[in-house]
Amino acid sequence: MSSDAQAVDVCAFWVGGAVYGIDVARVEEILPRVVPLPVGDAPPHVEGVVHVQGAAVPIVDLRRLLPAGTPPRTAKPKVILARLGRRRVGLRIDGMAGVRRYTVAEIRPAGAVPGVLAITADECRLLDLRELLADRPANRRRGL
Amino acid sequence: MSGDPSSLEALLARFRYRPDEESAGLTELPAASLEPDRPRGVDEVQLLTFGLGEGEYAVALGTVTEILRARTLTEIPRARPPLLGVLNLRGTITPVYDPSLRLGLSVSAPPCAGPDCARPPRAARILVVRTALGPAGLWVDRVRGVHRVRPGVLERPRGGPTGGVLGVLPTAEGSCTVVDPEWLLR
Repeated sequence: MSSDAQAVDVCAFWVGGAVYGIDVARVEEILPRVVPLPVGDAPPHVEGVVHVQGAAVPIVDLRRLLPAGTPPRTAKPKVILARLGRRRVGLRIDGMAGVRRYTVAEIRPAGAVPGVLAITADECRLLDLRELLADRPANRRRGL
Repeated sequence: MSGDPSSLEALLARFRYRPDEESAGLTELPAASLEPDRPRGVDEVQLLTFGLGEGEYAVALGTVTEILRARTLTEIPRARPPLLGVLNLRGTITPVYDPSLRLGLSVSAPPCAGPDCARPPRAARILVVRTALGPAGLWVDRVRGVHRVRPGVLERPRGGPTGGVLGVLPTAEGSCTVVDPEWLLR
């Protein structure tokens, strides 16, 4: 296997008191200021939709889906416009933590933490976005 | 916990982005389709967004026949706001109006008619719109682009006389007011 295939590029960000990561290839844009339009019948973690290049994109508040905590004082809240299959979703986060590259050896499986696939050596939790955002009763409960 | 590499590989496969990954079963929102590259539907409207002062506005793209770089207009003696002046558009005398007055913005009309006026700002544009009385121009500070939206996405003003305001379009930067161009000229 080539060294490129073993490397994992992660877009890392703060939510609560922990650093989480998603694949950089998912990240389309980082939006500094987003005012979503609320929609009816949305689960509590969905703030609403915004228009990005003609398509309505839901904004999901990750702070309502992940454990609470206090982010560092320097963190600036942002929205990550992320790809999910053929869709896009906006993820509300507490602050960016940069783009990091890990080797497979630095990553270990997370065990039974919902929505988290693996944890890196420096405690960046790699998220399973599809699992985290799936429409399930558990999400609705956790959302409140 | 070291974990066996095959299962870690499977976890990383879920972590990595694939354009064809299954996203069914995700939270569905009633307001709009989430597909960025869905087929363009017949029910979509195209809105041309433009800026005036601090605000963002939009008109239906179909009413706009042309977008011109702003140029010095020919002054009309004793022209009253919102009329700024006239423009010779390939032989058709086209009146140009300042929409900011109608929109209640405090910006005074830029002096852009007559021989001794300042050069128009680089970003300023004139939207030529079709009206019942022939073409007319709207002087705007900048043109942003075209939004394709489904009509249901527009927030309609509720209650009371709305004048020419047709709705409010939420955008990534905030919101943008959709107006009737003919109303801006009156």
